[in-house]
Amino acid sequence: MFQIKPILSMLMRNKSGPLLLLIQIILSVAIVANASFIITERVGLMARESGIAESEVFDLTIYNFDDAIVANEQNLIDVEIIRNLDGVKAATSTSMTPLSGGGWSSNFSHGSSEEDRKDTPSSAIYYGDEKMISTLGIQLIEGRNFYPDEVSSGGPELATLAIVSADFAKDTFGDESAVGQVMYRGNIGDQPMKIIGVVERLQGAWVDHDNLNRSVILNVELASSFTRFLVRADESAIADLKEAIPAALHKEHPNRVVRGFKTISEHRNNVYRNHELMATVLSMMVVLLLLITSLGLAGMVMFNIERRTKQIGTRRALGAKKRDIISFFLVENYLLCLTGGLLGGLIAVLLGQQLMSLYSLPKLELVYPIATVAGLLVLTTIAVILPAQKAAKISPAIATRSV
Amino acid sequence: MFFYYLDLAWRSIKKTPFLSLLMILAISIGIGITITILNIYKMASVNPAGERSAQLFSVQLMSQDNDTWDMINEQITYQDAFNLSQSDVPVRQAAMFRTGLAVQTEDVNFSPILEGVRVTTGDFFALFDVPFIYGTPWNKQVDAEGGYKVVINESINQKAFGGGNSVGKTLMLNRKPYQVVGVIAEWNPSPKYYDVNNGAFNDSEQIYVPFSMAPIEEFSSWGNNNSWRHEDIRNYQDRINSEMHWLQYWVELDTPAKQQEYQEWLGRYVEQQQQIGRFKHPDARGEIKDVAQWLNVNKVVPEDNKVLVGLSALFLIVCLVNMLGLLLAKFLKRAPEVGVRRAIGASRLQIFSQHLVEVGLIGFCGGALGLLWAWINLYFLSSKFELEASLAQLDQSMWVIAPVIAVSAAIIAGIYPAWRICSTNPSVYLKSQ
Repeated sequence: MFQIKPILSMLMRNKSGPLLLLIQIILSVAIVANASFIITERVGLMARESGIAESEVFDLTIYNFDDAIVANEQNLIDVEIIRNLDGVKAATSTSMTPLSGGGWSSNFSHGSSEEDRKDTPSSAIYYGDEKMISTLGIQLIEGRNFYPDEVSSGGPELATLAIVSADFAKDTFGDESAVGQVMYRGNIGDQPMKIIGVVERLQGAWVDHDNLNRSVILNVELASSFTRFLVRADESAIADLKEAIPAALHKEHPNRVVRGFKTISEHRNNVYRNHELMATVLSMMVVLLLLITSLGLAGMVMFNIERRTKQIGTRRALGAKKRDIISFFLVENYLLCLTGGLLGGLIAVLLGQQLMSLYSLPKLELVYPIATVAGLLVLTTIAVILPAQKAAKISPAIATRSV
Repeated sequence: MFFYYLDLAWRSIKKTPFLSLLMILAISIGIGITITILNIYKMASVNPAGERSAQLFSVQLMSQDNDTWDMINEQITYQDAFNLSQSDVPVRQAAMFRTGLAVQTEDVNFSPILEGVRVTTGDFFALFDVPFIYGTPWNKQVDAEGGYKVVINESINQKAFGGGNSVGKTLMLNRKPYQVVGVIAEWNPSPKYYDVNNGAFNDSEQIYVPFSMAPIEEFSSWGNNNSWRHEDIRNYQDRINSEMHWLQYWVELDTPAKQQEYQEWLGRYVEQQQQIGRFKHPDARGEIKDVAQWLNVNKVVPEDNKVLVGLSALFLIVCLVNMLGLLLAKFLKRAPEVGVRRAIGASRLQIFSQHLVEVGLIGFCGGALGLLWAWINLYFLSSKFELEASLAQLDQSMWVIAPVIAVSAAIIAGIYPAWRICSTNPSVYLKSQ
């Protein structure tokens, strides 16, 4: 009923044309399936939420190069200056900027004795004060924040309290509540740090590391000649603050350099740049490839129609309806597409395995080749049906005149 | 004959404009994508050390204990750097790291700027062939005993002193006076192979100060500091004595014999350190890697680029198969005409070469258009993603590579259709005339 037999015999009679089309479909499926898989994977990575008010928060660094400056006292003065400026909602000193690609990471140990000691999974370490949570705009879901008098100023060895992200709590303590647990730096007993709160979500600096969602905030303002600050402000005020903050700081003390002023959104764009580049280039490839494949197919069908004009005319004269002619071309196309799709899917999986073993790419999911073949069927239907309609219009009288 | 064929080809293209355009488009898109990706790949994988690539070696030491990281680190500790510098095997050697210092001049109106600074030994400049405009590096005595000497580049020289020979002038770094001993020309190897730890395509430092000043002025490190064990580092002396890996170390070994000798020297060094209780890993060793190996190990060319090169090659194949199909269709349509030409005396070879010329012409047009695509792509990508300028320029070699790939690929795709058409029996077509 689908005229499969005559179609097959026709394809067999003139092998090279259909064979080339088949190769093209096979390769297209293999490339498009793998490319769209990589695209979806990258887009998924970029869509992960940081939990931070990204467009309102920016960072800056202050470098005090005057030996007369006492770092921890100066930090307190500086953060007060920043907080008092118009448009600033909150500010804190910090050890690192989220999503910036660089910062502090470490693991701690926990347990009751050196024998049953366990290491926490690696996580980002933020050192900051009680304003860090409001500066980042993150949600405290359990326990409490630091009290102002619990924050010390100096080196990392002063940390005594910790607020952790929910992912850190879950990966470290499972279903047990993290609040009240104690972690140590180094051996059990070394510098105990008690967990007093859990925030819903807080990302670290490294978007390609599995520790991205694990973060710890410790109650210390790091004091050194380099200090980094995070500031949260109304979006409309940020441009003015870029001028106002250095001016106010230089007025207080001239011997320093103030730099930075990048919002977390800008850091995000930077840190995901390679992923976005990859996704963009691959999307370009997919679109162009599908375009070329369908144009090629349309060209072939047009050529076939000219070659088969007499044959089509004869069939029409013998009683074939227009619909039959169109379906003849469509079925021919579907036969090629499905065969090509099947082989292409197989090669796609092999190519995916190759990519997985050579490079750090995850395993290709089967839904991608299947979706690609489905998409190709739709696309080629359009590419075929337009010239096929032209073929169906061939009048039997003209076509058979020269027979 | 060639020009006659070219004329025939042009007429044939004009006769089937749609099909020809389709072919040119297909091949140009294939070439465009391939050239774009090849360009990014090539620019990222260029070896900036040139001829000296095989003589410059980065030194790595597996100095950690068991149960820590398993890989050999890219950087080494301060104590190892000090010990390595005692070896007299290398022609030149340099320990180094990046720091940042506030720059001022004696002019009070000069507002301070924070600049990245390379802390290294005087050998650095000869080791990496850094060109001097004025002056020289600081001398060996400064490397041994310390001294407030500095080498700056042209642009800092311009900013701080308004250009000219500034040797002997004073530059303030973190409020300390340093005497300028040399001014170097703009020198910016890309990738920045001597220190890949903070972005391999970042700019080189503009200011260089003696390594011997690090313990005196306590320069902080602007790079990765990797510790394999917990140490209480409270001051600079702790840092110097620690097992923290934070320095880059390069040596120049100009002959294979020297390289062999240095490997052996490193082996003895590791053994000697083991005797005093360090280097406890079962795999403890010293390694040297020349520039090419070094770029490879550090994945300076991202994996993504390699995946893209592979996919773009497949993409080009699809475009060629597409073109092959269309060519076949086009040539076979012309079979009756060819039949007549054969009958009146054209040889197979003539028919074959005529068609190949036509295919070559299509390929050439496709290549030219493809180059335009590549240029547009790179422009778009670099403006959207702020690609490093060196990656976003169309490399000169592409002006040759693109047409060569395009024409040869088109000819490969055209061989079969051209052979099919010239091998048909003319009588078949003559009969139906």
